[in-house]
Amino acid sequence: MPDVTKFSRGGLILFLSFLLMAVFSPALAPYDPWVRFEPYLPPGHEHLLGTNDMGHDILSELIFGSRVSLIVGFGAALMATLIGTAVGLLAGYFKGTTDEILMGITDIFLMIPQIPLIIVLAAFLRPSFWMVALIMGSLWWTSTARVVRSKALQVREMGFVQASRALGFSDRHIIFTDMLPNIFHVIMPKFMLSIASAMIAEASISFLGLGDPTMKSWGMMINFAFTRGGFINGYWWWYLTPGLCITLFVLSVVLLGFALEEQEEATMRLE
Amino acid sequence: MSHTAKRWSRYIIAIVIIFSLNFIIPRAMPGDPLTNLLGEDVILTDSTVAELRSEMGLDRSWSQQYLDYWWGILHLDLGYSFHRHSPVSEIIFSRMKWTLLLALPSLLLGGVLGTFLGALAGWRSRRKGQKMQTALFLAIYCTPPYFLCLLALYLLSFKLDLFPLKGFYTTGSAADIAHHLFLPILVMTLFSLSRNYMIMRGSVLQEKSSLYAAFARAKGLYDDEILFRHVFKNALLPIITLLAMDFGFILSGALFVEIVFSMNGMGNLIYDALLSRDYPVLQGSFLIITIMVVSANLLADLLYSSLDPRVRWQ
Repeated sequence: MPDVTKFSRGGLILFLSFLLMAVFSPALAPYDPWVRFEPYLPPGHEHLLGTNDMGHDILSELIFGSRVSLIVGFGAALMATLIGTAVGLLAGYFKGTTDEILMGITDIFLMIPQIPLIIVLAAFLRPSFWMVALIMGSLWWTSTARVVRSKALQVREMGFVQASRALGFSDRHIIFTDMLPNIFHVIMPKFMLSIASAMIAEASISFLGLGDPTMKSWGMMINFAFTRGGFINGYWWWYLTPGLCITLFVLSVVLLGFALEEQEEATMRLE
Repeated sequence: MSHTAKRWSRYIIAIVIIFSLNFIIPRAMPGDPLTNLLGEDVILTDSTVAELRSEMGLDRSWSQQYLDYWWGILHLDLGYSFHRHSPVSEIIFSRMKWTLLLALPSLLLGGVLGTFLGALAGWRSRRKGQKMQTALFLAIYCTPPYFLCLLALYLLSFKLDLFPLKGFYTTGSAADIAHHLFLPILVMTLFSLSRNYMIMRGSVLQEKSSLYAAFARAKGLYDDEILFRHVFKNALLPIITLLAMDFGFILSGALFVEIVFSMNGMGNLIYDALLSRDYPVLQGSFLIITIMVVSANLLADLLYSSLDPRVRWQ
């Protein structure tokens, strides 16, 4: 399918440019994001994307904000993927009671309204952005667990796993050296999609002003624009670009995730 | 244990765990639990503090407090908001109907339109128009709902002056409420539509390559007939569960939409509670939302089993 590769190539390019932006922020940003210039400047020569109420340069804020947003997204997704893979592997490999209990827990986690719970926790904890990532990661593992489990159920019946078991290898050895490498390809797309939901959730939490106030993420920038009059006064440059950045980055991750899923399904059909 | 009992027990355990979390959070967090339970901008004299402490049972043992907590919930007592000077349950119930007025139509519209358009998109996935449509909904899928609101509000209300800027009503007539609700519901519908669209599209794409679809084609049925008489039914099944799970997302989305549109529903209630650190309201809202989400799941479970004979409850 030609359009799939075209889309996913676009996703890859977007993704890599955001990654480069986060890594080389200090070199790319024209100014320090905390240095003050004249406030409320519309986009122009001096400040390509204008300035906010404090006179901070928006383009520099955006570039440095990519670090915070990406770290939260990746951190949460990594956490979610680790938990999800562990739960799914154990449930799929051991089956029986272990499976029932672990999948029961997964079902229960699926029912927790996540954003409201994060709001309540964040209100009490006033967390740093690392904590936000950890909390989100510990809620978002359910769909990964389900996918990994169903794959693990298939893999455990395959010849080489049966052979390992017959040879008397320990469960731990079989799980790590036989099962995990053969499940890895279903984990990757899930990882990408977890980044997407974590980014959107981080943006939402920050929009409520619950993020880390010392860290200017994209969501935080929109929150400032909304609460400090940028929206009411029509300073569109203040909130438009961070919003677009969130959307574009999430889009790039989702496109990559879909492309990986598609690839996985294509190989399944070949088998 | 029978199948039915197992399912019910899952819902009950979920409720118990979430409610217990709600009990533990204010008591385990750093700081004085009394402050955590009352909210932070409440200023009290020492004698009232002592009085409240015993009235709220904070001087009793944890187990006793826990039992009292459940006793309160079973009597619909969610605590008292000192910030708003009224019982939490009263505040929430008066706000809830507005949020549901926003969330339910969007959920239904988004569900129906999303599955229908998504099915067509999956069925005719090679057409140019469908690809454009898919790209559009994918972009909406990737946008935080409140940002979509900001854009819609800026373009349609600020610039074009087509819709009111905020609130649920100014005069209170049905037409007036509808006029105020149009834009928020539109955004919410797009939000829920795009989610269902992506799922349904994927589902139909999978069903398309299955044998029964090929057989229907060999039998000489028209393309649209195959889609709506055979494929649609099978592709729809996973959607029902997803709709229920999405209910939580839609509800959370509605909270943010309300904040942007300054509508006095649950979203703004939670937002105000956050700003004034009014913890009882915050926790009460969380409980009510949880109950609604879990019941939606239960409903979907029952519906699913009545539609799909393979998973009928025994």
